[in-house]
Amino acid sequence: MYQQAAWIISVVLILFVLFVFLYVVAHSGQRAEYEPIQKKGYRIRNVWFLAVIAAMGLATFYTLRDLPFERPAHAANPTVVQVKARQFGFVLSRNEFRVGESIAFQVTSEDVNHGVGIYDESMELLAQTQAMPKYTNTIYYTFEKPGTYQVLCLEYCGIGHHVMTATITVVPAQEGEGK
Amino acid sequence: MEANVRKMVALYMLVSGIAILLMMVLGLLMLLAQGKMIPLGQDTFYEMMTAHGTFMIGAAAFAASAVMWYFLRQYVRLSFPIFVTHFVLFLTGAVMTAISIFVFRFAGAWTFLYPLPAMSAGMWGKTGASLYLIGMLLIGVSFLLLYLDTSRAIIREYGSLGHGLGWPQILGKVKGYGPPPTVVASTMVSIVNLVSLTAGASVLVMSLINLFQPSIEIDPLLAKNLIYAFGHIFANSVIYMGVIAVYEILPKYTNRPWKSYKIFLIAWNMSTLFTIIIYPHHLLMDFVMPKWMLIIGQVFSYLNGLPVLVVTAFGALMIVYRSGIEWDMASSFIFLSMFGWVAGVMPAIADATIVINHVMHNTKWVPGHFHMYMGIGAVSMLFGFMYYFIRGNGRKIGYADMVSFWVYTIFFLSLCGTFLFSGKVSAPRRWAVHVPEWIPYDRMGAMFAVAIIAAVTVFLYRFFVSVITVQAKQNIEVGPRA
Repeated sequence: MYQQAAWIISVVLILFVLFVFLYVVAHSGQRAEYEPIQKKGYRIRNVWFLAVIAAMGLATFYTLRDLPFERPAHAANPTVVQVKARQFGFVLSRNEFRVGESIAFQVTSEDVNHGVGIYDESMELLAQTQAMPKYTNTIYYTFEKPGTYQVLCLEYCGIGHHVMTATITVVPAQEGEGK
Repeated sequence: MEANVRKMVALYMLVSGIAILLMMVLGLLMLLAQGKMIPLGQDTFYEMMTAHGTFMIGAAAFAASAVMWYFLRQYVRLSFPIFVTHFVLFLTGAVMTAISIFVFRFAGAWTFLYPLPAMSAGMWGKTGASLYLIGMLLIGVSFLLLYLDTSRAIIREYGSLGHGLGWPQILGKVKGYGPPPTVVASTMVSIVNLVSLTAGASVLVMSLINLFQPSIEIDPLLAKNLIYAFGHIFANSVIYMGVIAVYEILPKYTNRPWKSYKIFLIAWNMSTLFTIIIYPHHLLMDFVMPKWMLIIGQVFSYLNGLPVLVVTAFGALMIVYRSGIEWDMASSFIFLSMFGWVAGVMPAIADATIVINHVMHNTKWVPGHFHMYMGIGAVSMLFGFMYYFIRGNGRKIGYADMVSFWVYTIFFLSLCGTFLFSGKVSAPRRWAVHVPEWIPYDRMGAMFAVAIIAAVTVFLYRFFVSVITVQAKQNIEVGPRA
């Protein structure tokens, strides 16, 4: 969802910027007095400034309410899974889950920096965090669909970076062994 | 003296231009490999990736520092020997890093994230890692010398760096305009890069010590903070140095002034502060970071868009609107650069949003946005300056140049589109091997890269031929040396 939103918003804004620049190029040929242009320009700029500030304020307000590093309210007692990354593989203390099960992936590294990215079957990135030596980052996640998920390394870690993967299986809620 | 300055600046631009072209070729090879169109060993891929990241930013910053130096010397007394020393030290460092990568197979990426240089899983040894780290340190020292000199010269002329940023005018103590935009921008760059280079040098030295004495460890989170503080600020400074060309060239082409009025000065002061403090947006997926730093990383990254969106780009649009500007290669590139900068800000701001970063960090979305404001923004400023530099050399700029300009513009925008779309479909960055879902965009990107490389070859050929012709003409006028 966020990928789609970022793509659409970015493309629309880039096209808007392109239109404005092309408009100015199209109206750059005939010379006019600069002072009236500046006066009008400053008025437009004030409106533009307020519009940009308002857009940024709204985006800040809505997006900061959904911080991925905070435990969601519905995940009061999650299944804790230890994820250890090392050149070039992952060790998960458990890799089979049920749909709807709240999980806290506690991620660390035994050597260099790695990344843990959880991908669904269509190779869409669902969540990630960094795997760092001496530190533990926690991803809170609840799988909504059964299937086979991939864990990919998302921080460059050396020659085997792209082979560093793991598999997670998610079964329907009634079939899993449960906690 | 003036001839020596021009010769040196031309040399800076030529060396940087050739380096940028070569790194574009490496970029093309990496895309071809990801698109499974050529076989490229994964070790070679990661070496190329390390070189591409290191030398693209290094060469662009090197050229941009020459642009800044060239224009700043109109207002303050800069040291030519320091300018030459910067050149020699930079090249020495660059050669060392190139040897570390292509001879000793160092492939720790430009990020050299601790403790990767010392833990290569057998890919490179201590010699490769230490050569890279020392080479980077030398490059850093070369820039440090230059910024110490620009700071010294600005303080000497204007009294302090605060005066260089127009504080007396902002605070109302002095009426009228502040220092020329070039001085304001140079002050900002000097301040932020003294900070970034100090951070970078610290972590480079610590990594070197750890390399030879593994028992002396670094806190990995501290190292990461220092590396991204260095990398973020330094890479961003390229565009802040390049924009000096915009401030100097557009007023000449439009015959309209670009003054440092109050809002302009406030915007540059905001950029100074924000550029230094927003680097945590590179660490949004390091959840152990203090929460306030991550939130600052998002909120201040948004605010850092304001100076360019509301002041600099708006100023460029206003100065060109109904100006009767002469559109040639220099003015076209300069105007294009402002478009590239503003357009690149949009996906960058999206990526600085924590919830979006959660599913796009370290995907190809990231190179998508920074290629836009580096390739179409900063590098266009450099090409614009190069064409401005050779203007009046008597050589006609042909249709090939203008066609190449449009090829560069259209295909670079398209290349960025393939990167951004790859990010949207979650293709990770820095992966030597891609799954079938991501390959079509790699192949499209490779095709666009071929066109970009052809266009850049034309620009560099024109610059080379022009400066050589002028040099030959000067030698004939001076006559044979005794």
